[in-house]
Amino acid sequence: MQALKRSLEILKSSPALFILLLGFGLFPIYTSMADLPFWNDVSMRIMLLGMAALGLNLVLGFGGMVSFGHAAFIGIGAYSVGISQFYGIDNGWLHILFALLFCAAIGLVIGFLALRTKGIYFIMITLAFAQMLYFFFVSLEVFGGDDGMGVDRASFLIIDLWDPLRLYYLIWIALFAVSLLLLLIINSHFGVILQGIKDNESRIEAMGLSALHFKITAYVASAAICGLAGALFANWQEYVSPDIMHWSRSGELMIVIVLGGLSYIAGPLIGAIVFFLLEEFLPELLYFIAPDYSENWMIIFGPMLIAVVLFTKGGLMAIFEQLHRRITQRQNTT
Amino acid sequence: MTKVSLELKDISKSYGALRASHKLCLSVNKGEIHALIGPNGAGKTTLIKQIYGSEQPDSGQILLNGELINNTSPSLRVRKGIGRSFQISNVLLGFTVLQNALIAELARKGKVFRFFAPAFSDPSLLSGARNILEKVGLLHQSEKLAAEISHGERRLLELALAIATNPQLLLLDEPLAGAGAEESRHITSIIENLKSQHATLLIEHDMDAVFKLADRITVLVEGKTIASGTPDEISNNSAVRNAYLGDGD
Repeated sequence: MQALKRSLEILKSSPALFILLLGFGLFPIYTSMADLPFWNDVSMRIMLLGMAALGLNLVLGFGGMVSFGHAAFIGIGAYSVGISQFYGIDNGWLHILFALLFCAAIGLVIGFLALRTKGIYFIMITLAFAQMLYFFFVSLEVFGGDDGMGVDRASFLIIDLWDPLRLYYLIWIALFAVSLLLLLIINSHFGVILQGIKDNESRIEAMGLSALHFKITAYVASAAICGLAGALFANWQEYVSPDIMHWSRSGELMIVIVLGGLSYIAGPLIGAIVFFLLEEFLPELLYFIAPDYSENWMIIFGPMLIAVVLFTKGGLMAIFEQLHRRITQRQNTT
Repeated sequence: MTKVSLELKDISKSYGALRASHKLCLSVNKGEIHALIGPNGAGKTTLIKQIYGSEQPDSGQILLNGELINNTSPSLRVRKGIGRSFQISNVLLGFTVLQNALIAELARKGKVFRFFAPAFSDPSLLSGARNILEKVGLLHQSEKLAAEISHGERRLLELALAIATNPQLLLLDEPLAGAGAEESRHITSIIENLKSQHATLLIEHDMDAVFKLADRITVLVEGKTIASGTPDEISNNSAVRNAYLGDGD
């Protein structure tokens, strides 16, 4: 009871996160009234990628570790569902348990090896491990190899997912839980030391703490969160293929985080929303101007991302924060 | 008999042809300040690094309270009782002064792998952090970012973080570097007040401070000890005067 009270209290510390979660929770009411069921699908996709980006941001934004291989954990999470079903295990809770366990275990191994390096070497090693896993699944002919495998929406004991809205709220609850968990973690004893390591590792070591232990722990937790997102992703897509863990998705996660603001807990979610809206509307916009180029929406998106990075010094969340500060200042002066 | 806190036996270290430490022997007792002086490049900081553990000696023994600590990591040595301040301020610049002290307090208490217990709002951690800042007289700057305070104040914070873990052995690498005259006097008096609680090894170029603080002084030149003794003995030592302190003035 007290834990619940504290959890709700800590939500107040990030109004942006609270508003976003509330928005995702209420969105299906709007789509059913406006008769736009397609947008539920988009919203689920945003929540799933947002969840994975939240997980990555624990190491990237709060731990200062630029991991370029987190799509691998989404893939392992998704394949946990596909492979379990292949062997006749239909219970969705078990799928999620497997996804968490496998991702944590593989995250522990990769983290243990990769976190001994820093900077560009760390980026390259995490990318190398992700590519290894990618080609491992490409070569697994039993599970479809390159073509992937179909997945039935799992049943979660009493709740089955025949109704897309049930899947929607399963994803939403998971996103809510992950957000709350991360909010608690970054404010905890562990969390402030992790952020201290990002700021100045040698000072933390001079306090008698082994930075490596904290980094590995954060890496494992972040891998597990991406695994959860992956398992739900498989249910949403009803299909798993190595494509889900392509290196470009690792890049997409990083873009989402940088766009939203990597030192903010709500940054990855804002980033995910804006990224997917742009992915949806930029091609259409481009179609009016130059029909032949509408597929190359990244031509516009690239400079936009650069502008956000150069001018906001902290992503879209930094803009919101400045706006908020200006408004409260104006209220105070009048 | 005074208890020896740190003992170095025949420490040698070379970087290629450069001898940074040559058969150095040295001890620091509890309640004593042992100053290490010498010209630039004499191997003072290299010696501190070997005691702290970020560099390994080629040969020789490092004993902390009689225990051989040659093969332990810096973070383990800190847990065994070594505190270090750095030549260039090494604080958490993105955090406030109070948060810096609070994280040090957290590290001292050791309850670090707690994932749900809030840190910055914990009353007992906050009061511990304020205690640390009070020792160095930095309480009035609690809410400022460490990046925003003056250089001298950052030296104070550096010192505060070094003593926050209650070390038995305190390694101070030029604690006065870059501080103004007023701040230097302040930092010197703090080091003097803390003297009884630690064994202190001090590197400092400010000779007024060294001769005011030190109980014993060791003079290093090119990795070798050329003299060791009380401040009086050192200031009257002709070899030291020639090599370092400068004759005539």
